[in-house]
Amino acid sequence: MKPAAISAPLRSRSEVALRSIVVCFLIVFFAVFYLLPVIAVFIGSFFQWNPLKNQMIYLGLDNWVKLLHSELFWRAVGNTFLFAAVATFFRIVLGLALSNALFSKLIKHKSVYRVLYYIPTITPLVAVTFVWKFIFAPRIGLLNQMLGTNINWLFDGKYAMAAILILTIWKDFGYAVIMLLGGLYSRPEECYESAEVDGASAWQRFRYLTLPLLKPTILFVVITSLISYFQTYIPVLVLTQGGPGTQTYLASYLIYEEAFSKYNFGYASALSFVLFLMIAVLTGVSFKISGKGDSL
Amino acid sequence: MKQKATSALLNMILIVCSVLTIMPLVWMFCSSFKTNIEINSLAQNFFPQNATVQNYTDVLRKFDFLRYFFNSLVYSLLITVITVYTSTLAGFVLSKYRFKGRDLLFSMILMTMMVPGVVTIIPRYSMMQLLGWLDSYRALILPSVFTPFGIFMMRQACASVPNELLEAARVDGANEFFVFHRIVLPLLHNSIVSISIFQFLWAWDDYLWPYLMIRSDNKQLLSIALNMFSGRYSTDYAGLFAATAIAIIPVIIFYIIFQKRFIAGISASAVKG
Repeated sequence: MKPAAISAPLRSRSEVALRSIVVCFLIVFFAVFYLLPVIAVFIGSFFQWNPLKNQMIYLGLDNWVKLLHSELFWRAVGNTFLFAAVATFFRIVLGLALSNALFSKLIKHKSVYRVLYYIPTITPLVAVTFVWKFIFAPRIGLLNQMLGTNINWLFDGKYAMAAILILTIWKDFGYAVIMLLGGLYSRPEECYESAEVDGASAWQRFRYLTLPLLKPTILFVVITSLISYFQTYIPVLVLTQGGPGTQTYLASYLIYEEAFSKYNFGYASALSFVLFLMIAVLTGVSFKISGKGDSL
Repeated sequence: MKQKATSALLNMILIVCSVLTIMPLVWMFCSSFKTNIEINSLAQNFFPQNATVQNYTDVLRKFDFLRYFFNSLVYSLLITVITVYTSTLAGFVLSKYRFKGRDLLFSMILMTMMVPGVVTIIPRYSMMQLLGWLDSYRALILPSVFTPFGIFMMRQACASVPNELLEAARVDGANEFFVFHRIVLPLLHNSIVSISIFQFLWAWDDYLWPYLMIRSDNKQLLSIALNMFSGRYSTDYAGLFAATAIAIIPVIIFYIIFQKRFIAGISASAVKG
């Protein structure tokens, strides 16, 4: 008998059976529903592809040339970066501020706040976006009533993106609060006590103890936020359809529009592949930065 | 003295944020009892002046609301049960068994989380078209049988199950199917509750895929029906608010009932993540 076989753990027949079934299903499933589609999207980007007419004509690089020269595409990419950066920033800042406030010993009824902050996150996005459409209404909308303004949030180029950001931040900050609070509860209290004895100010304790301790959680929230914000399209679809002009076109909404209202599957495939690459690079970069930046 | 000031300041921040957080939902709920005239009038009141349940009865009568609601409920529950089971099973196999290629398989699954939904949806649509499965629930459910996020969460959770416990059962002659169903599943109740809420919510909220797959009116889901509602009766905000309230309230109730376990579940995954 080979030594490797001796050191391997004893496997029962039922373990081999269960393992084989699960692994086979996983491989088949992820190959069919993820790997195959990514390959198909890449191949499809070289065709004029219309599923309604059952049309597939080879175009070579035409879709890619069109994409690189499309003003709308670059606009959407720029908007997507802006949207993802601002939304992620506010999610983390609000998450850090509120989780630290909630963690304080001076606060009572913590569970009530926790439940309240998380409610927007668990409400269905499509339904809630319709409500916000009315909240953003000029003159009679709730937001204008509260601020005492008369802003046409969704049709004024200066405010449309802000409106989509407000909705997104409102919906998502609670997730960051809960995650970061989870991180705070696992921190070692001795460090804080000795820091306090040594005369460290509240800010110093936050900067040099809390932030480094929360780093893995912050990183996790940043990466998952960026990935999901790069794919946002529902608020755009319901609130502005990319307008006014091209102010609120986001990459995923552009893909949605090309694919399912114009049925340009080929061009939409090229766009999709670019979005996929952007997310892959972005995730890679986030990991790289976090690996180096121990000072965070 | 200083402590009192800090405490007051912190409490105020938390209260203001809470009010801002639930205000839109409370406002929607109040508005669902207003008439359309009151909603569109220039003199706005937060609370309805002449509260009426007319909107709710109208929605249920004019619009096949209960059917959409029921369709969404069945679809969401089905998806939740399937994915929670498959995620836990896959998580168990990927964390407790050692075999060649395990870590490679797991990292491949993680990488699929980066594939945007809109990217895979085009080929999946063509796939279902080729299979002739358009307008059927199996086309709706099949692509969600496994979810990378669920597998990721449940693998984390399974890692916390002590090996000694599993070994003890094995020594007593339990096979792996028994070990999984009778020992691992019951131990993971917190994580199962939190992942169930996530999955239920996502399914309840699913928009693009059901919108593309389902054509017949009698199979339609609530999230798409809400969209039709706003188009078909575009000025009927009162009706829309009532419909939205009915769509949101079950989820909130579900969440409030299970919130303790839910928060324990997500925090547990956060610490290790």
